[in-house]
Amino acid sequence: MGWTRRKTTTLLAVVSALAVLAGCGTTIPADPDGTLDRVTGGTLRVGVSHQPPWTDITGDGEPSGTEAGLVRDFADSLDAEVEWETGGEEHLIHLLEEEELDVVIGGLTKDSPWERQVALTTSYREATGPAGETSQHVMAVPMGENAFMTALERFLLAEGEA
Amino acid sequence: MSPAPRFGITELPEKQARVLRRAIRLERIDLCFRAVTVVLMITVAGNSQAMKAAWIEDALSFLPPLSFLLAVRIIRRRPSRRHPYGYHRSVGVAHLVASVCLLTMGLYLLIESGLGLVEAEHPAIGVVSLLGHPVWLGWLMIPAALLTGIPTMILGRMKLKLAPDLHDKVLFADADMNKADWMTSLTTVIGILGIGIGWWWTDSVAAIIISGSIIRDGWGNLRSCIADLMDVRATTYDSSEPHPIIGEIKEELRRRDWVEEADCRVRDQGHVFHVEAFVVPRGGRTPSLEELAAAREACVELDWKMQDMVLVPVEKLPEEFLPRG
Repeated sequence: MGWTRRKTTTLLAVVSALAVLAGCGTTIPADPDGTLDRVTGGTLRVGVSHQPPWTDITGDGEPSGTEAGLVRDFADSLDAEVEWETGGEEHLIHLLEEEELDVVIGGLTKDSPWERQVALTTSYREATGPAGETSQHVMAVPMGENAFMTALERFLLAEGEA
Repeated sequence: MSPAPRFGITELPEKQARVLRRAIRLERIDLCFRAVTVVLMITVAGNSQAMKAAWIEDALSFLPPLSFLLAVRIIRRRPSRRHPYGYHRSVGVAHLVASVCLLTMGLYLLIESGLGLVEAEHPAIGVVSLLGHPVWLGWLMIPAALLTGIPTMILGRMKLKLAPDLHDKVLFADADMNKADWMTSLTTVIGILGIGIGWWWTDSVAAIIISGSIIRDGWGNLRSCIADLMDVRATTYDSSEPHPIIGEIKEELRRRDWVEEADCRVRDQGHVFHVEAFVVPRGGRTPSLEELAAAREACVELDWKMQDMVLVPVEKLPEEFLPRG
């Protein structure tokens, strides 16, 4: 048997050590790259692709639409300024992957093909399309920035209930 | 359906019959448990990327118990004109299936986690809405991993206890598969806790460490199973040493006063052994049929695994059948 009692004990020790570490930490989950810390009291960099009624970049000035509004409120809750970047979805997703953006919005749904490149939030709203099909709406955030992601998700879920 | 307590022509002793029934029951429980786990996983994780990866593992770990159950059905058949040696080799085939599954799982885990580490994939674990409350998915995944890991660990240990009595290498390989499963669950727990504190690499590193142990088990099982199919000298259930029965047969034969010299070759057909023994009678005297029958009977009595035995009186031990090197 390759698996000895000693190794099992070692593994259990690792698990308990991690559990203790996890218990002591202030925020769980944490961000490997510190996105939430940087955004709080700073700047939230938002990528917007045009997809009314969720997002609309045709007007003068700042983007409008329900998701643009939600993101603005989220930035307010973190005391952050919003920096908008408009463009096509693929371009924005690429910027998000490079962590040059913090959030991408544009009527994205749970079935979005980008789930290997970026993290999709839990769906915060269900909408019915013109053909009667339902879609679960989400936003995109950088992969693995879990403190930032859960902060956004908690905000969106709370907004959904209100 | 209660299985007949026999392997081909070999009547199972009461103890082995009981162990076999327990092993079959364990494997059925294992299959049911796995089926429930898969259904639960699909319900909880849906068609996420992680779920798609877990599919391969789940599908693989179904195969060893299935092949065990199939093999024990087939070996109950009696030998026929077409299958004069019986169906015992089906155990070897099942062992091959189980070994390949184990090795594939280990390699898959190594490559998958290695790639994750090289490409610096940061796993994303978000929030789900549970009864209207947002809960970090990690807190749900840890108990889920423990819930699937602990019963697998218990099942594996129980199978390992049965393997020596039944001389069953499939059961042994399948116990290794259970071990691989529960260790993978443990790495999931470590990985999630690591991700929780911002160490994105813990999941991959833990999985790579574990994959080494799984690959070693898979490789060891594969080697021993191919060796058995190639008629290697019979070994113990864990393939760690030559089976002691080989020495016992020689001793049993040499003890008779009409025997000058005796030797044998023994191959493992799955559960039971095929024995060819040669005796040189003292002073060149041809032994009586009764003496030969009694000697063979005494050997067969040594172990339940030895029904298929031929005893050949010879002038001198045939070196071509009993190589020294």
